[in-house]
Amino acid sequence: MPGVSTQITYIVVGYAVLVAVLAGTLAGRRAERAPWLDQMAWLLEVLLVVRALAGLGPLLGPDRPPSTSTYVGYLLASVAVLPIAMKSVEGDRAVWSSVVIAVAAVAVAVIGVRLEMTA
Amino acid sequence: MTEPSGPTGATGATGGTGATDAPAMDAGSEPARRSGPHQALLAFYALFTAAAGARALVQLTTQYDVAPVAYWLSLAAAVTYALGWWAIRQASLGRTGFASVMLWVELAGVLTVGTLSLVHRQWFPDASVWSDYGIGYGCVPAVLPVLGLLWLRRRRAGGHAGSGS
Repeated sequence: MPGVSTQITYIVVGYAVLVAVLAGTLAGRRAERAPWLDQMAWLLEVLLVVRALAGLGPLLGPDRPPSTSTYVGYLLASVAVLPIAMKSVEGDRAVWSSVVIAVAAVAVAVIGVRLEMTA
Repeated sequence: MTEPSGPTGATGATGGTGATDAPAMDAGSEPARRSGPHQALLAFYALFTAAAGARALVQLTTQYDVAPVAYWLSLAAAVTYALGWWAIRQASLGRTGFASVMLWVELAGVLTVGTLSLVHRQWFPDASVWSDYGIGYGCVPAVLPVLGLLWLRRRRAGGHAGSGS
């Protein structure tokens, strides 16, 4: 049975992929970025924060990750990417702003997987 | 999704993403900027600047002796991405000169390092960002300059007004 943080990672990665697919679909239809996509992205950020908090556990315990600097880097990156992406498209609801969200969502999915591999 | 290098490989990769992505944020709030494909390119370049830069710095500081050449090449890749980010941003504002040089430099870098890493494996005891044409990053490093050059070509063909669509 995988640990709690691993289970959260599965959920986060799956949800991030969903956000990326929906953002890509929205852009593919040449539609403006819908408000629900923003809400989904922020919910993803909440999940990432929960994952990051759960990920602090190994740092405090006796069994620290073998490459701590890598692990901490991934933890920080996992929560930083989406807010920066959202800020960069603030006030811009044109088609390509959804693609930026898709790129960010894919990035956090990759970071989630890497985080699990370095934990 | 997997990195060819050790645990530190991807590491830093994304470690500094936040900090290095910041310029994208500034660009986003710039009133003169139009929406367009360059936004996606800028997002990728910001991510790769952070990923390659953090990875290179972590590897150079923690395991320098393992593969110094590869790690310095990773740092060079990070600098290239930072300059590429700037070049595309400038091009999106109408100044395409720097981008038309920088994107070719980047493509040449990926192809040269990628080929060398395949032909002279002994030169690369550990992977650099551009090893095997960036396969550790899903070959995005090889595709990125090509997409950038295509965008630039379209942008030039369409004149400045074409940048937005």
